Amino acid sequence: MKELIVSKVFSHGIAIGPVFLVPEEYTTVSDAKAETEAKIESEIQRFETAAEKVAQDLSLLAQNNKIFAGHVSIIKDFTLHDAVKHKIREQHINAEQASEASIEELRCIFQSMDDPYMKERAADITDVGDQLLACLQNRCADKFAALKTPSVIIARNLVPSDTARLNQDLVLGFITEEGGVTSHVSIMAKSLNIPALVGATGILDLVKEDSHVVMDAGTGEIYVDPEPDFAKNFSAKKKKLEEENAAYLADAGLPTVTKDNRQLKVYANVGSLKDIEQAVSLRVDGVGLFRTEFLYMENSHFPTEEEQFEVYRKAVETLGHEIIIRTLDIGGDKELSYFQFKPEQNPFLGLRAIRFCLKNPDIFRTQIRAILRASHYGPLRIMLPMLISLEEAESALELIRQVKQELTREQIPFDDKIQVGMMMETPAAVFCADEFAQMMDFFSIGTNDLTQYTLAVDRGNQEIRDLYDPFYPAVIRAISHIIKAGHKAGIEVGMCGEFAGDRRSTKLLLGLGLDEFSMSASDTPRIKAALRSMNYNDEQKHAQEILQLRHAKEIKSALDN
Amino acid sequence: MVSEKVKVRNVTGLHLRPASELADICSKCSCNITIVHPNGQVNPKSVLMLMSAAIKAGTEIEIKCDGEDEKESLKKIVDAIQGGFGEELID
Repeated sequence: MKELIVSKVFSHGIAIGPVFLVPEEYTTVSDAKAETEAKIESEIQRFETAAEKVAQDLSLLAQNNKIFAGHVSIIKDFTLHDAVKHKIREQHINAEQASEASIEELRCIFQSMDDPYMKERAADITDVGDQLLACLQNRCADKFAALKTPSVIIARNLVPSDTARLNQDLVLGFITEEGGVTSHVSIMAKSLNIPALVGATGILDLVKEDSHVVMDAGTGEIYVDPEPDFAKNFSAKKKKLEEENAAYLADAGLPTVTKDNRQLKVYANVGSLKDIEQAVSLRVDGVGLFRTEFLYMENSHFPTEEEQFEVYRKAVETLGHEIIIRTLDIGGDKELSYFQFKPEQNPFLGLRAIRFCLKNPDIFRTQIRAILRASHYGPLRIMLPMLISLEEAESALELIRQVKQELTREQIPFDDKIQVGMMMETPAAVFCADEFAQMMDFFSIGTNDLTQYTLAVDRGNQEIRDLYDPFYPAVIRAISHIIKAGHKAGIEVGMCGEFAGDRRSTKLLLGLGLDEFSMSASDTPRIKAALRSMNYNDEQKHAQEILQLRHAKEIKSALDN
Repeated sequence: MVSEKVKVRNVTGLHLRPASELADICSKCSCNITIVHPNGQVNPKSVLMLMSAAIKAGTEIEIKCDGEDEKESLKKIVDAIQGGFGEELID
């Protein structure tokens, strides 16, 4: 048995089962020639069969995602077919070579276009080309085609298009060699409630095709090829955990009140309408962070007012509780296929979130109008991301005021008393918290960015992963300062970063006076149960002691007890 | 041969999704089809050719159909473009 411990964890649950290693090999293209007429015809036939198969494959994906419908048209396109056939006939090359060359020509055409949207389509062509080549080489473009039995998926890394193809019923857990706790795969695993460990450096060297693994996502333990008894004991532990979770879930609908009667809000972070449905089933009290990026990223154009309005309205009507909608937080690591962001040296310090919206007021206005219109159908709040200055707050509030006037003039109903608040995620916002609190109806602390900006640590950088730790006194004190400033002005303070769903930090946040805890919906039953077992007065005293501690390690061990 | 001029009305123009819808419609027609746009002409049965023309909202284009089902084909194509492919329209 071999053992590996991952230090950063973000999900719960134990998975035991066979390994499914996601293939990543690329086979070089053979340079065999097609000299005879018969060989030419057979190469053409081979190309057509492969193209047909890729088209069928993509058609299936297209049922759930519009992006793939475009890919179907590309693979069926006669320009591509003509080019490949022509090359096989005239240059006597094989189907792989002809496909590779034709795809490259087409890619270059799009790559060299002026229109930024069209330039981006080069990536679609490459994507389709890769699948065609894989099919010709009898590698399956669907990396998960060989996945037949429920398995623990192990990969170097996973991208969104991988997960679109994945049959969730066959996934016991995820382990990736690379990636951080805020990477795509971890966010997805959390929303699907699948045990996952990322950044498991060395895992690919430990496992073989026929390996079995035991993983505990809550503790970061991974055991490769364990003895039979070991797995059995682990199974017993797993059963106990499931029973605990079932008990938490049974109580999920009860109010979250501490032993000494402090009432708290435990909300969910969501990023799609599907997440809202999950939140309903887990009986969350509300949504503390509705990420609107999916509306923009899973689209071929900036979503229209009508498109957005429908989604916001559906969300609040489905949930039946309050939803805090964060306005567009694009830029940084999140890009759009139809909008060309200028390359930046430091994208996280660049044109993103509110900066992008204030520079593109039409895009911002469309979103604000859609949110305001939807506010007529259920309780919504507006949350502004990444503010660093009072000027930004003033500009955004002014724009909201103007949009309200417009709607009033047009006699379109909306909630005139809609609360407008801001994310507290930059050191600048922390230093000016008192002034911001006078202008805002609420604060919500975004710990992922607050940690990154306070510590000046790039959260995607593997080399300094150890430094990205919200338990550093600097971050804890920033959080404490924000809560105090908010309460002084009489406004509610919430948190919508990963930290709010961390069991260790729950006590501390309660003690610091946090009003609303927002996290992955799957974490809410557990955190609700934890809060109900705590005493606010005790934790307040405890928190004051923790604020005096000098090292992250001391803080963590103080919270473990 | 029959032809008709039509304005592209959907807000985003003939990008990937509308272009693939249009190419799909055109591919089902047996006549020869040409789209004349301000910078040249393309065969709309190919989505790649169609996209490479980068036709934007508000652009006037001419559809030419030549062959046995030319009349029905022209109508289908013009209707599709004027329908805006289910997207928001500019006017």
